[in-house]
Amino acid sequence: MSKNYASAEEYGLADLLCCAAAREVADNEIVFAGTGLPMVAIMLAQKTHAPNLKLIFEAGTLDGRPPEIPTSVGDARCEMGASRASGLYDAFSIAQRGYVDLGFLGGAEVDQYGNVNTTCIGDYLNPDLRLTGSGGNPDINSFAQRTVFIMVHEPRRFVENVSYITSPGWRVKKWPGGELVPRQELYGAAFRGGPSAVISTAGVFRFDAGSGRMYLDTCHPGKSPAEIKGLCQFDLDISRVSGETLPPTREELHLIHEVLDPEQIFIPRVK
Amino acid sequence: MNDKRITLQQAAEIIKDGASLTFSGFTIWRRPMAIVCELIRQQRRNLHLIEVQGGPHTEFLVGAGCVDIWESCWVGHELYGKYGANLSRKVGAKEIIVEDYSHAEMMFRFAAGASGAPYAATQTSLGTDIHNPAYDMLGLAGKRDGQRIAKHKYVFSDDPFYGAGAQVLVPAAKVDIAVMCVQQVGEEGTVRVNGQYYSDPEAARTADLTIVMAEEIVPEEYLRRNADQNTIASFEVDHIVECPFGAHPTGMFGRYDVDGAFLKDFYARTRSQEGFDAFAKEWIHGLDNLSYLEKLGWGRMLNLKANTALNYSTSVKRGQ
Repeated sequence: MSKNYASAEEYGLADLLCCAAAREVADNEIVFAGTGLPMVAIMLAQKTHAPNLKLIFEAGTLDGRPPEIPTSVGDARCEMGASRASGLYDAFSIAQRGYVDLGFLGGAEVDQYGNVNTTCIGDYLNPDLRLTGSGGNPDINSFAQRTVFIMVHEPRRFVENVSYITSPGWRVKKWPGGELVPRQELYGAAFRGGPSAVISTAGVFRFDAGSGRMYLDTCHPGKSPAEIKGLCQFDLDISRVSGETLPPTREELHLIHEVLDPEQIFIPRVK
Repeated sequence: MNDKRITLQQAAEIIKDGASLTFSGFTIWRRPMAIVCELIRQQRRNLHLIEVQGGPHTEFLVGAGCVDIWESCWVGHELYGKYGANLSRKVGAKEIIVEDYSHAEMMFRFAAGASGAPYAATQTSLGTDIHNPAYDMLGLAGKRDGQRIAKHKYVFSDDPFYGAGAQVLVPAAKVDIAVMCVQQVGEEGTVRVNGQYYSDPEAARTADLTIVMAEEIVPEEYLRRNADQNTIASFEVDHIVECPFGAHPTGMFGRYDVDGAFLKDFYARTRSQEGFDAFAKEWIHGLDNLSYLEKLGWGRMLNLKANTALNYSTSVKRGQ
């Protein structure tokens, strides 16, 4: 089946991110969804190539099939049509038990190992800005086989060292000293995986299995590898670029704007 | 049968200065806002909030200067306000102690508290700054007395039974009072939550005293006809209060949606202390629950009202 890709003027950046995120999901997977664009992405995957995926909302909805996009994971819309509506103890127990294949997360800062900060900017003990805090970010990232981060791409966000490691990447701190060690070493028998991709507003990034370092996989249309490297404070590996991020198809755009998010809660229309 | 009914004012009076509190709900859903506003009117001080995650109720109490310690993992207004601006301001000014755990750690701390276990073992958040020993804020403040506040923030361990490797032990939550907001409570205290019950059962069981504010107090016999649908047992609840729309501006499954416009306005206006004080003057002080609802008006409340077949509002404007 040939894909009916949209041309550049038919979609916005949020559409591109949403579709790129949806393509990270495989059919039959159990996916942990946070509030926002990831919800639209997962429901898009559910309506396209992954009709048998199972959706978990952190507040306590298991195998959700919401009739309308929820505005948050605590939303009344989450549990309508779900297999079970319960609570956070269920959601986190199931995640720690190892049911979750994939989680979608966000962050304010990320380093080259995929360590993510959502806690504060500046010194934790004297912060320039206190942010929301961890929420379930480190939990989903500790328990799932794979996690995908969706982030705004600015040099101040793709940094050498994050202000605070809220969520663990591929080289994490070993306490009490705080030296960086491979994630596998620290998690031992509890190791399941970690960040598999970062989808930013500039491109899609993945991690080298050996070094744990981030590399550029695809550039969003109109962005060059050199330009994207210039948007990172760390030395981004651009030697493995596989091409351009695939644009949304017209079918995906129709689903996003007419079916999933017609109210434009998370994804604005371009026109 | 002892009568558990009290008023909103009495509910707030039971909560003394310095008490540790936890709440029902999840982020911007089913928060006991009417009692929170009453606590602010009564100028409660030195509260210690221990919650699985925060929300607008946290921001109200923190903005009003009622809180000394916040132990949790997240505060914000979801898509209606990126982070907790009042908490952020007071952390910057060192007017509040924040102890950060992860969301699952907080949930498991409550599960331990609710089951009478001293701690929980988990494999979450290893390698993060949540476990940075230099960031034990209650320890740095000299508050770890081993009584109501655990001697350690966490302890690392290895699984002694199955060799499952690294574990982090987190202390059971110890909480004086759970303040709940639910759809229905029976005259004897039986609670029926509709929709996701979040961490409500653990919150009520962990706390030494539980106050339940409900949209309606219903005959106990009605709830006992279908006991399998009930969420919290009668004897776990000490006091009950009837207060329709008591969760506003947060939402309640089957009753009303989140008032997103209200939260957006709150977030935008309360970035500064002067802004918070002006907000409190307009929406908290000098009002009671009825005059608060009158001020919101019929139009606003009807718009938020849930469709009883769908359990959410079909008329509320959510997007752009």
